[in-house]
Amino acid sequence: MTATQTVKQAKKPIDFIGYFLRIMIIITLVCLFVPALNPTHMSELMNDSDSFFTSGISYGGIADAFKRAVTKGYIEQGVLVRTYVGALTSLIGMAAMLVGCAMTIGEIKFKRLGAKLSLIGSAVSVAGLIFVKLQQSGFTNAANPERIKPLEPVGAIIFIVLAGICFLLSLLYLLKLPKAAKEAQWVMEGQYRLFLMMAPFIVLVFLFSYLPLWGWRYAFFDYKPGQALTPDNFVGFKWFTYLFQNAATRADIGRVMINTLAMSGIGLAMSWLPLAFAIFLTEIKCGPVRRAVQTITTIPNFISWVLVYTVAFALFSSDGFVNQFLLSTGLASESTDFLIGNDGIWLKMYLWGTWKGLGWGAIIYIAGISGIDQALYEAATIDGAGRFQKIWHITIPGLMPTFFVQFVLSISNILSNGMDQYLVFRNATNTSSIQVLDLYVYMLGLGKSNQIPLSTVVGMAKSIISVILLFSANKASKAIRGSGIV
Amino acid sequence: MAKSKVKHGFRLTAEDVVFNIINYTIFILFALICLFPFYYLFINTISDNALVGAGRIQLLPKGIHFNNYIGLTRINGLGTSFIVSVARTVIGTVLMVGASALVGYLVTKQEMWGRKFWYRFLVITMYFNAGLVPWYMNMSMLGLTNNFLAYIIPGIISPYNIILVKTYIESIPAELEESASIDGAGYFRIFRCIIFPLCKPILATIAIFGAVGHWNSFTDSLILMSGKPELFTLQHRLYTYMNEATNLAAMIQQGGSDIGNLATQASMNMRPIKFTVAMATVIPILLVYPFMSKYFEKGIMLGAVKG
Repeated sequence: MTATQTVKQAKKPIDFIGYFLRIMIIITLVCLFVPALNPTHMSELMNDSDSFFTSGISYGGIADAFKRAVTKGYIEQGVLVRTYVGALTSLIGMAAMLVGCAMTIGEIKFKRLGAKLSLIGSAVSVAGLIFVKLQQSGFTNAANPERIKPLEPVGAIIFIVLAGICFLLSLLYLLKLPKAAKEAQWVMEGQYRLFLMMAPFIVLVFLFSYLPLWGWRYAFFDYKPGQALTPDNFVGFKWFTYLFQNAATRADIGRVMINTLAMSGIGLAMSWLPLAFAIFLTEIKCGPVRRAVQTITTIPNFISWVLVYTVAFALFSSDGFVNQFLLSTGLASESTDFLIGNDGIWLKMYLWGTWKGLGWGAIIYIAGISGIDQALYEAATIDGAGRFQKIWHITIPGLMPTFFVQFVLSISNILSNGMDQYLVFRNATNTSSIQVLDLYVYMLGLGKSNQIPLSTVVGMAKSIISVILLFSANKASKAIRGSGIV
Repeated sequence: MAKSKVKHGFRLTAEDVVFNIINYTIFILFALICLFPFYYLFINTISDNALVGAGRIQLLPKGIHFNNYIGLTRINGLGTSFIVSVARTVIGTVLMVGASALVGYLVTKQEMWGRKFWYRFLVITMYFNAGLVPWYMNMSMLGLTNNFLAYIIPGIISPYNIILVKTYIESIPAELEESASIDGAGYFRIFRCIIFPLCKPILATIAIFGAVGHWNSFTDSLILMSGKPELFTLQHRLYTYMNEATNLAAMIQQGGSDIGNLATQASMNMRPIKFTVAMATVIPILLVYPFMSKYFEKGIMLGAVKG
């Protein structure tokens, strides 16, 4: 204990370099994921959206773009292989830097090892980067430069400088660190050990939840798939105004919004249904029947929308069960395909959603009912209250808080109907009435039209409005019942 | 309530009887509506294909055979899709549960460096979303298009599940952990030997929801794997088969009679096969369903607590 304490006191003057080293290493590693800084991006053939990490981690990241060029002999395969080897070496060095960086937050023995690791790692990384840079000539002097379209990536220099700074800092750090005392142990403070255990997950959250926000920049460029984002195709708020100025787009948006709000609106208007389902289900006093009904009605919640569509197809297509039934009983003279066309599609979508989700949505209320004090019911029975009076005066007030939370949450999700359901039920004849916002964003951006900037704008607007709705709903909930929902 | 009725000597009134009849009828009818489609699909897969094609199978199977199920093995790509679906469900669920348990434990440790900040950093991601296109561009930037890892890695972190585990761990008496820590156990050892075993009920709950989610998801396959059909999930396969049927049906309505007849014939012959594929994707769910149902209520009630 005393040993660690003295070390702690002694470390103060040099910790500044430690902080600086860690920050530099983290900056270097973040740059790995910036496509604009990819040092291997030495030809226009390569995908602009690939980062150094993507290119370095798999050979395909570099070579896929050159399949044709290699077979035609425009460029040597060796150049690509050497570029990949250099990139991979550099990445391995950076992995060592990362480990070293993590170790330097321990006590003296960890610090020394961490500094050594990041020293070696940054040296390896610089070597790999220089090796990549040397392959530049392979691209510029390729057999057919017009086809290869060589580029001089600025990222190579930036990475060499960054890794070089890390190298110098590690060296400085190592020289300044005192020798570890003989009795010194491998110790790291609990708070840092916990943080290091957490760190990989923080990285995942960053990569998959925060980094996509960086993609909002596509909204400000005249981007076509495969192109780079350059100052030349920066268009500012063009796509935002386009949304309102272009008549066709405006009409599309209007139609999509009506569909979205109509379907959400039906859902909101019917949001009492799970509550009623739960109340009347608990009125079934025969235990086995009640449990069986509850179990069976929950099954559809666990099957995918594709399967729901298969079910719909089996029952309602022109040679499905319903048509066969109507024909065989003579109720209809010819079969109709109920899945084709716009008629009543909002209602149909609501009904399928209900078929799938009603039993599931009721569970929360069933649990709520079992939490209501039985003495209330007994007292009411003695006072002569009937079944419906008990429901109205005891059960419903008891469930109101739960209902309120669900209702407010569904208001804040008014624009998010999800896309699976509408995607599977969509076909050429019903697109105009079934297309909700989520589906529209998908078809606009990733469908045939491939309008990435416009789709990004719509998605952005939707995200921002949803967040505002959620927080307003939360505020309203706080004002009405004194506690928030998020 | 039933008991109190007996105790006070109440008898069922005529009104009660009417109410019960209506109530039972409605619920049993709805339960049948939930169950019948699966039954209908099933009898259509085991009946004589010619009769199915002619639409003669309505309530009872006729000419029972299981050749359609044997025939599944002959459909190209279906086997690999099955393997992909099983692999993503098993690997994805195991990693998600492990990560949720560990992170749920870590965020309960007050002494962690920057605990409050990191916890908020994590939880706030539940409330915003960059949108589909930026998400897709991000995945492609990370090299996760046409890559099996795209099914696994993004799903490892689930803030909602982490909150569930955290709330559960907070209900475990702190003395258990303290005594182990006095005995010299490190954080990871405490997690592995004490916290993890105690959390099994909640972990089982999130595992079930995670597994069902993995098994059922098809949009990620649809959007990310367009260049690699061997990585399609089973749901995605079923979607493509069903989509063909829809297009055929739309052609029947719009196109001329010749195309119509051809299309009808093709779609008729495909019917039993499609339904068999559908049964193959739904049977695993129906098989594990009895084991899952006891965790429903627990899961959904825990979900009502907030972070």
